[in-house]
Amino acid sequence: MATVELQNLAKNFGGFTALEDLNLMIEDGEFLVLLGPSGCGKSTTMRIIAGLDEPTSGRILIGGKQVNDIPARDRNLAMVFQNYALYPHMTVGENIGYPLKIQRIGRADRERRVREAAAKVEMQELLTRRPAELSGGQRQRVALARAIVRTPQLFLMDEPLSNLDAKLRTVMRAELKHLQKELATTTIYVTHDQVEAMTLADRIVILNDARIQQIGAPAEIYARPANVFVAGFIGSPPMNLIAGEIKDGIFVHATGSLKVEGEPDGAVTLGIRPEDISLVATDKADLEGKVYSSELLGDCTLINAHIGKTLIAAKVRPEDVREINTPVSVGIDHSKLHFFDASTGTRRDNAK
Amino acid sequence: MKHTATTRFGLAALQIVLALFVLLPFFWMISVSLKPATEPFAIPARLWPTAPTLENYVTAFRPEFRTYFMNSIIVSGASVAITVTLALLAAYSFSRGKLIALTVLMGAVVIAQMFPHSAIIIPIYKMMRLADLLNTYTSLIIAYVSVTLPVAIWMLRGFLIKLPVSLEEAASIDGAGPVRVFWDIVVPLARPGVIATAVYVLIVTWQEFLFALSFTSTKEMRTLPVGLNDFIGQYGIRYGELMASSVMVSVPVIAIFFFLQRYLVAGLTAGAVKG
Repeated sequence: MATVELQNLAKNFGGFTALEDLNLMIEDGEFLVLLGPSGCGKSTTMRIIAGLDEPTSGRILIGGKQVNDIPARDRNLAMVFQNYALYPHMTVGENIGYPLKIQRIGRADRERRVREAAAKVEMQELLTRRPAELSGGQRQRVALARAIVRTPQLFLMDEPLSNLDAKLRTVMRAELKHLQKELATTTIYVTHDQVEAMTLADRIVILNDARIQQIGAPAEIYARPANVFVAGFIGSPPMNLIAGEIKDGIFVHATGSLKVEGEPDGAVTLGIRPEDISLVATDKADLEGKVYSSELLGDCTLINAHIGKTLIAAKVRPEDVREINTPVSVGIDHSKLHFFDASTGTRRDNAK
Repeated sequence: MKHTATTRFGLAALQIVLALFVLLPFFWMISVSLKPATEPFAIPARLWPTAPTLENYVTAFRPEFRTYFMNSIIVSGASVAITVTLALLAAYSFSRGKLIALTVLMGAVVIAQMFPHSAIIIPIYKMMRLADLLNTYTSLIIAYVSVTLPVAIWMLRGFLIKLPVSLEEAASIDGAGPVRVFWDIVVPLARPGVIATAVYVLIVTWQEFLFALSFTSTKEMRTLPVGLNDFIGQYGIRYGELMASSVMVSVPVIAIFFFLQRYLVAGLTAGAVKG
């Protein structure tokens, strides 16, 4: 178990900047998720922590000790790869026991620990199988068992659930979270799936364009996205963003206006979450639009509507199903508005 | 693509003709080897001897043949072992290294295999004479390793490139050093490629004639292909014994090939096409 600290970390591949001046402190026992679209630098960050790639500049500290010059094999961490990276010529038991074999741990002790690790992921019945004979979920468990078998000071997980089907992913997600809390080992988890990030993380780091966009607990990131990128990335569907201008306490956009008392004047982007929008009678409408699509999801109805040229999503009551191309009056919860500066994209009240 | 019955029949007929074309010399070799000395040139020619006999095999399996056989096993065996070991190490560097110098070197390796043996045999002969290695196993093994190594490297590199790097990364995170990663992960996974390469080297060296003829001067050092020459005399060719020897020369390689062919096919095609 250990803390991880990244100081001024940067990485260039030829002329491409994968990471730019990244600073991050990860607490002991924390489950930290690196979240971002592909190419944002999240996998690079993890590979640098693992020692598989070298940073162009910056320092990596694990447990307060600089590890820049320590090779991957001596960093005492375990990694779960996206493609599991199980050794195809070894049995499940040999796969799990490989880290122990390298540490020259005696056979009896090794077998006991392999059995314990396998039991934790419910694979103890399949120790003599080869990876090729296992299903995707089982392979995932073997990869996990190989990671936990030697009680490393740090877990690294690179999109470990992305090759599983949706149902299994939900199951494994819960198991992973449970296991991590039980072992209380610092874990860094890379994903592009914001649902995984929200459900698993103690804290989320959102990366885009080689930079950190926001660091915070899932609830905090959801409630107060730091900029339009985070607002548009988190949530399913994500926050609606409507461009406009505030003048004398009124937000004016292409097809209407909205009272927003106390907000200073200026060009802004208004953000509103789909669940903070409802369908209302015409005389109470904040916005007028035209229905683009209407999808009954069971517990709610998802309505996409054009407000001017902007398509917004609204999560409304299940009975509020609408016909396509009919006009619709939209009401907004005025206490749940988010304002972002139109030019910089950053949250307006961040300074407060 | 769907074929009509006529096309299918035509293709099948063509395959049979081609197979006959390839197999007929082998059949003739076996047939002649079983004929008594008077029969090979009987007119009309007979496909199969009326009274098959093993006497050619008995005379062909003389002490010299046994010496040649041992020489061939030693020379081919050592060439296979050395070439495959060197090629595996080189191919691993070529497939994993990122230095520009490696690309240049790989180009040099490809070019090296383009020279015909007859073009390089005189310089190699002179080198062997200078080193006082003529008429030794060493001279043949060095020559065979140097002519088979480029193709062997190329084959193994194609194979290793397709192995996922994440396995090696996983092993190094599990605590394995570079040598351990190579030995525990790369070598076992490269086995089909190694076997295919070994069979290639074996087939090339087992039947090699030019170097063997030039570098050896005494019967004690001759290999099988040169030894077959014994039956081609100044006044005549003893076809029966020659063919019997040929059969005995071919059998070990054919047996090994059949035993390992599933690896060979996998190894030759793996990496042949860019994945």
